[in-house]
Amino acid sequence: MSESMGPSEVFQERLRTAREFRELSQGELAQRAGLQASAVSHFETGTRKPSFDNLKRLADALKVSTDYLLGRTSEMEATVASADRLHRHYSGLSAEYQEMADEFVQMLAQRAQQKKDAGGQ
Amino acid sequence: MTRRSDPLLKVKWEADKLLQDLGINSLPIDPFQIADRLGIALQAMPSSMGGASGMLIHVAGQFGICYPTHVGSDGFKNFSVGHEIGHYRLPGHIEAVLDANGRHVSAAGFHSSNRYELEADHFAAALLMPSRLVGPILKKAGDGLAGVEALATECETSMEAAAIRFAHLCPDPVAVIRSQGVTIDYAFMSNSLRDFDGLDWIRKDSPLPTESGTREFNLDGANVLHGKRISGDSTLQDWFGGPHRQKIIEETVGLGAYGKTLTILTGMQPPDEFQRDDDENDDEDEGLIESWTPRFQR
Repeated sequence: MSESMGPSEVFQERLRTAREFRELSQGELAQRAGLQASAVSHFETGTRKPSFDNLKRLADALKVSTDYLLGRTSEMEATVASADRLHRHYSGLSAEYQEMADEFVQMLAQRAQQKKDAGGQ
Repeated sequence: MTRRSDPLLKVKWEADKLLQDLGINSLPIDPFQIADRLGIALQAMPSSMGGASGMLIHVAGQFGICYPTHVGSDGFKNFSVGHEIGHYRLPGHIEAVLDANGRHVSAAGFHSSNRYELEADHFAAALLMPSRLVGPILKKAGDGLAGVEALATECETSMEAAAIRFAHLCPDPVAVIRSQGVTIDYAFMSNSLRDFDGLDWIRKDSPLPTESGTREFNLDGANVLHGKRISGDSTLQDWFGGPHRQKIIEETVGLGAYGKTLTILTGMQPPDEFQRDDDENDDEDEGLIESWTPRFQR
């Protein structure tokens, strides 16, 4: 996988790999993820870009991590949770804000771990 | 006259689809409940953080939204959460909001030139004020500031978001301008106003017209701070240049501690009608010129 690939391009490739690993057709995966039948085909060919919501649904349906689908880890079931803070002018945030965000990240990481322990991804 | 297509139609469609998916059919739309139903955790930011804006956080398939509280009004909070849900739901925002380090690096607000921030803003507006539900409100409240206020109240959103939504939904020629001091932050024109020929589009950071009531209003900061309002006449030419001197209604309201001012321009006649009026006015002007021209100069 090229390092110059954008998240959407990486997603295309990883989605197909994970789907084939789980031995699912595009239609079967779409149904499991609660998406339109043609959606997976569009994602894999790059004619449609995914949303975070799509990402989450597909990761859940495939029982892989979102980080895997985004190309952040080569392990399908990642153990290390990386956090994306999707913020405007992130680098300019105050120390107070960053501290609060870090605590929130910890809470979300706990949630992710609990879900995994409960048999999720 | 050519009707321009709306480049944000797909964004609004996505907002409407989310409401349909969740079976939400009545106002006010509660974005906190929507976030909860999508499995997104919410975290209020202390008001001491001032003007810092919201954040969508993703950790291993878990999502969370931090939302600002410094403006106090529920409308502002609702809009902030709606904006982040937009980033979550809109196709392509994964790529747009993540740089190589996985962080969001763009600018905010309806005045943003960043396409994805603008899309998230319009998603929030369409989510909180779906066209199929707000039509009766606008019909009842009427045009201008009254319509905007009714929209903001019934939909529990900010005046600014309501005004922009109003400009998008209103079939009549209207404009919404946000300003601070003597400077225009941005302006939105309804589709039917965009169809007027010969108008200059108001540019960001351009000065308020010297003859406008809004400029005078903004000179006194207390007007803005205390949410005062004025209503008066100005002309289409004052705001948009061009050849048309028709009178229009200018309504102005201060947005309080936010420090901004909202101006709603209405009462504009369609081009063919005011062109006819202008021609008549030109005849009157010619008559006036005629009466003042000394006979001996002919």
